[in-house]
Amino acid sequence: MLKKTAIENISQLAAVLMEKGTLLAPVKEVSCHNFAEISDPQKVDLKFYNTLMSPKSAFFPHREDFVKYKVGKPLSEAEHTILNLKPAFLFGVRPCDVKSFEIMDIHFNAAGIIDPYWRARREATTIFGYAYDINQPVDSADFYNTLGIYAADPEGSDIFMVKKDKELLLKSITPKGEKLLAELSALEKASSGDEKYYEDYIKKGKDYKTRFTCVDSEVIAKKIESIFDNTDFWTKMSAACLSCGICTFSCPNCYCFDICDDTLFGKGTRSRVWDACMFTDFTLEASGHNPRTQVYQRLRQKVSHKYSYHVRKYGVISCVGCGRCTRQCPVNIDIYSIIEAALKA
Amino acid sequence: MSNNPYIPMPVQIAKIIDEVDTHDIKTFRFAFLNKEDEKNFKYMPGQFAELSIYGKGESPIGIASSPTQQGFVEFTVQRAGTVVPGLVTSALHDMSEGGEIGIRGPMGNSWPIEFLEKKNIVVVGGGFAFTTLRSLINYMLHKDNRSRFGEITVIYGARTPGLLLYKDELAAWETRDDIKSVITVDKGDDNWKGRQGFVPAVCKEVAPSPKNTVAVICGPPIMIKFTLPVFFDLGFSKENILTSLEMRMKCGIGKCGRCNVGSKYVCNDGPVFSLAELEELPRDF
Repeated sequence: MLKKTAIENISQLAAVLMEKGTLLAPVKEVSCHNFAEISDPQKVDLKFYNTLMSPKSAFFPHREDFVKYKVGKPLSEAEHTILNLKPAFLFGVRPCDVKSFEIMDIHFNAAGIIDPYWRARREATTIFGYAYDINQPVDSADFYNTLGIYAADPEGSDIFMVKKDKELLLKSITPKGEKLLAELSALEKASSGDEKYYEDYIKKGKDYKTRFTCVDSEVIAKKIESIFDNTDFWTKMSAACLSCGICTFSCPNCYCFDICDDTLFGKGTRSRVWDACMFTDFTLEASGHNPRTQVYQRLRQKVSHKYSYHVRKYGVISCVGCGRCTRQCPVNIDIYSIIEAALKA
Repeated sequence: MSNNPYIPMPVQIAKIIDEVDTHDIKTFRFAFLNKEDEKNFKYMPGQFAELSIYGKGESPIGIASSPTQQGFVEFTVQRAGTVVPGLVTSALHDMSEGGEIGIRGPMGNSWPIEFLEKKNIVVVGGGFAFTTLRSLINYMLHKDNRSRFGEITVIYGARTPGLLLYKDELAAWETRDDIKSVITVDKGDDNWKGRQGFVPAVCKEVAPSPKNTVAVICGPPIMIKFTLPVFFDLGFSKENILTSLEMRMKCGIGKCGRCNVGSKYVCNDGPVFSLAELEELPRDF
């Protein structure tokens, strides 16, 4: 099913979705766009290239409270977070970011013990993917083509959206998306011309080129393993790194977290918060031993985890080439260049 | 494990044993407050659990009791805090019998019992790293299990006599004829009538045969470093030397990424590894 709406009427669609549940969509901030829970439908803004932070927080928020308690009281009195969420709509997600959910699903929602928070949020959410505007220049940091992802890749979305001049075309991809799209009576029916435009757009998305290096997951995994002890290589790659961790926080596929207890005046909350393998105390043990005291060891861990360990454990690279880590690194460390260099090392 | 793997189960401190003369290592015996939790907490020797105190945090600690012991679970905990303040372990050490904490687990793999069956077992422990080895020994010595294993040899050392853990059990093993127990201290005191000497030297002297034998070794890094060559010289293969790794952990269920080494999560894929498996991992622990 294909439907459409004028982009200037997007707030009407937003208002309908807000009636049905929680709406998470891009909003304009001071100098960027970010996903936020919408309270004013007028705030939804689709004039963005990609959001500063990834949309992973829709399922894996920066802080997730597990339990609230009173210090010293029996555990049975603690209040656990209720996981029965109302339906949510994640609106305007770029194809590379949609792909990141699939990769995170393996870790949180399929392999080993299931993460109940990720699963509950994921199951409650309908994803509106949004093709990159192929009439605008590609950002030089992006390299999602390298990971086999294209600018107008509908895979993984429930509903996929394409911009057609001043209109937005919405195509149902999954049965969940089909059902929702049928319910959205505020949207207009698309014409056969729109259908053709949509199909053409998906095809043209393949010609919208980001940076590209031929990366076979097995080959790169093996290569990264083979240069583990090449300290010169990793020292050179990490020479400028400040260990600030912004690469991991902005990454749609980084999932490391800490579990923290915050207490004040006898009341406390146990929550998980994002953490980063780039931080010096990430692996500091109570004994004082720390296997990764050096910056090069931590950058090596981050790159190896994404391009080697994750492949070995789950069969896929844990990177979608969204370019956020490169764009936001204060010292211009570029993981794409590291991978290129690693292949030649 | 409860439905939500991040939520601890309530347990009550049934007994506290002050293990060493420095008073910084205690064994805590916990009783489950909910019968359902006790039933679900099925563990094997070598596994660990997160001890959880609301307001302080959580610590991953090896299970020191044996699953053959019913009605409780024991952990031997050192009060940490020489470099990083040990919030949980300090709080636990300050608690009394009857106090309530939380527990999440059991977690990780275990000593590979099926692999150990019908083989001779040499258990080598040093200092405080004897807790899950004690679990294994007591499991193997249980009357229902003893016939499943060959000869059992225990070589256990501590720096001083006062630092030996589980002193009553060590004494009891001395009197049994189905376990060979060799206890040593680096330096004895006036009352010490036993053996003196470092664990690696004692291993060399005892010289267990590698034939159909598995060595299970846990101890401080310096002990491991000098003990492994002794076992190689004796002819033990890397597949037949087992150890248990430590890494900083948080979730304990392979999700938080903290204990990641190579493609393994120590909490989930370990903590027990053979030396052959460890050699496959990057030297990042």
